[in-house]
Amino acid sequence: MKKINIILIVLIPIIFILVSSSLYTVNETQVAIKLRLGEIVSIELEPGLKFKTPFVNNVVFFDSRIQTLDSVPEAFLTVEKKNVIVDSYVKWRIMDVEQFYLSTGGSLASANLRLAQNNQDALRIEFSKRTINEVVSSQREEIMKNVKTKLEKIAESEYGIEIWDVRIKRIELAQEVRNSVYLRMETERNGLANKLRSEGSEEAEKIQAFAEKERTILLANAYSESEKIRGEGDAKSANNYAKAYSQDAEFYSFHRSLESYRKSIGYQGDILVLNPDSEFFRHFNPKN
Amino acid sequence: MANNQNPWGSSNQTPPELDQVIKDFKNKFNAVFGGGSSGKSSSARGGIKYLIILAILVWLLSGIYIVDPAERGVVLRFGAFQEVTSQGPHWRLPYPIEQVYKVNVERIRAAEIGFRNIQNSSYGGNVSSESLMLTKDENMVDVNLAVQYKVADVKAYLFNVLMPELTLSHVVQSVIRQVVGDNTMDYVLTTGREQVAQDVKTGSQALLNLYQTGLLITAVTMQDAQPPIQVKAAFDDVVKAREDQQRYINEANAYANDILPKARGASQRILAEAQAYRSQVISKSDGESERFRLILGEYLKAPEVTRERLYRETLEEVLSKSNKVIIDSSTNALMYLPIDQLINSSRSTTSSTSRQSNYPSQSSQSFQSNSGTSILRSREVLR
Repeated sequence: MKKINIILIVLIPIIFILVSSSLYTVNETQVAIKLRLGEIVSIELEPGLKFKTPFVNNVVFFDSRIQTLDSVPEAFLTVEKKNVIVDSYVKWRIMDVEQFYLSTGGSLASANLRLAQNNQDALRIEFSKRTINEVVSSQREEIMKNVKTKLEKIAESEYGIEIWDVRIKRIELAQEVRNSVYLRMETERNGLANKLRSEGSEEAEKIQAFAEKERTILLANAYSESEKIRGEGDAKSANNYAKAYSQDAEFYSFHRSLESYRKSIGYQGDILVLNPDSEFFRHFNPKN
Repeated sequence: MANNQNPWGSSNQTPPELDQVIKDFKNKFNAVFGGGSSGKSSSARGGIKYLIILAILVWLLSGIYIVDPAERGVVLRFGAFQEVTSQGPHWRLPYPIEQVYKVNVERIRAAEIGFRNIQNSSYGGNVSSESLMLTKDENMVDVNLAVQYKVADVKAYLFNVLMPELTLSHVVQSVIRQVVGDNTMDYVLTTGREQVAQDVKTGSQALLNLYQTGLLITAVTMQDAQPPIQVKAAFDDVVKAREDQQRYINEANAYANDILPKARGASQRILAEAQAYRSQVISKSDGESERFRLILGEYLKAPEVTRERLYRETLEEVLSKSNKVIIDSSTNALMYLPIDQLINSSRSTTSSTSRQSNYPSQSSQSFQSNSGTSILRSREVLR
């Protein structure tokens, strides 16, 4: 009985080890290659519990998710010989596991390294054909598409890799170019600032001049109107006077003269030098 | 479980099997701890059986897991996707067989492009290298974006892409540069902010879908869009210039608003004065002509006397008020009269206002003359 127990105690772990080493799981995020003494026997694309012969088979796992190659920013020359610094990324995933395993030894890092090389080369060629403006704006999409096609061709046939996307993250001007851009931006802005201020002055001047013109016109119109009104008054009064005075012109002259004397002569301080021969002194000088 | 809590409380109600198990356990217990007295081998076997059952129970219980309301549980059986479970308690086959990943699908996650609010050093690249970008007109702008996203498809999120968050960051960086590169600086900095953010959102989401990340961008907000720090002063000056422009215009308007009403007032005054003048001269002429007419009536009744009387009265009035020098013209002697001195001495003693008290200034102007001419005139009249 005790022997059986001991046998059991020894056997159970052995069985356990055997079973566990003949089972393996392929995760949802993985694909696997089953090797028999270094030779590929089967490719496991579906996740789940799998069997293998212990010690004879071994299994290599690969990440089946989309991988990111984040390139190192690198300087490229554009067609006008300006340096731009370009940062891009490549999205890829393993398509042909066997091919991938054979060409890279199953290492994602080495796949990334090779892709990066190809990516940089393709980008360099595309950039050298275009101006900065085209690269930045109008033809960015086209560059990415071209690089993608180029990479696809190489990656699929050589590495068993499927390229999902190639995208330029950033395009930057090299430092010396950047400074001249800053300088240009500054002068542009200064020009704009001046323009705005001058336009303000222009508008202000316009408004002021218009207001002054309005004022002058208003006053002139008022003056013209007032002169007419005064003229009316003068005419009416002249008419009045004429009607009255023409009744006896001689008496008017006399009466008006007297009025004038009263108003213009005879204030305190006036000095009158008189001749006693005058009418007023008729009785003053009995000689007359 | 009751046997765990009270293993020795055997009773008739306990099922025979369980009773046996308890007994076995007791024996086993005694065998191990009770001084090493040899127990029966059958009871030792039973002890192992009990332990195995217990272990299996515990093992099975370890399959219980609870999913929060905001979470989804993703169950894998031997690494293969099995099911997605939602909130509440669940049971799965325990460890080596099934695994569960819990992912929060409600939480809004945030990614920041060009700046860092949240401590997040999982990906490199300094901040200004993220935020500086070229525009279509080859200017540079400094753009900070905040992206909010959540997990929309748990399965895709877990299994499709290595590091989905990093992918999101890459995608947004790429798309924002593309959008900014397609637009002019002025557009990005001013009117286009909303549109740029919107374009980034749609563009990024399209790429995230292409990569099957299972992420959903809920909002992209442009935190800040500025010219680079090196040219900021010049840009600020433009803002100031714009203010200045407005200020100049406002000042001019203020000036216009000041002078125009005043001018309108002044013109009204001119008109009113003219109307006043018209009324004045007309009334005056009415009065004066009426007065003349009345006098004339009386004069015609007795012309000689009236004429004489008027003349005398007037001269009397005039002469009574002024200084007089009477010279007999029949003597041909030349006389010296210090008229200047006479005038000056009389001026200093009289107030000048007395002359102007009789009539309003306008109409009296014609009657006013300096004293010199009045003397001459008086001489003329009296001759």
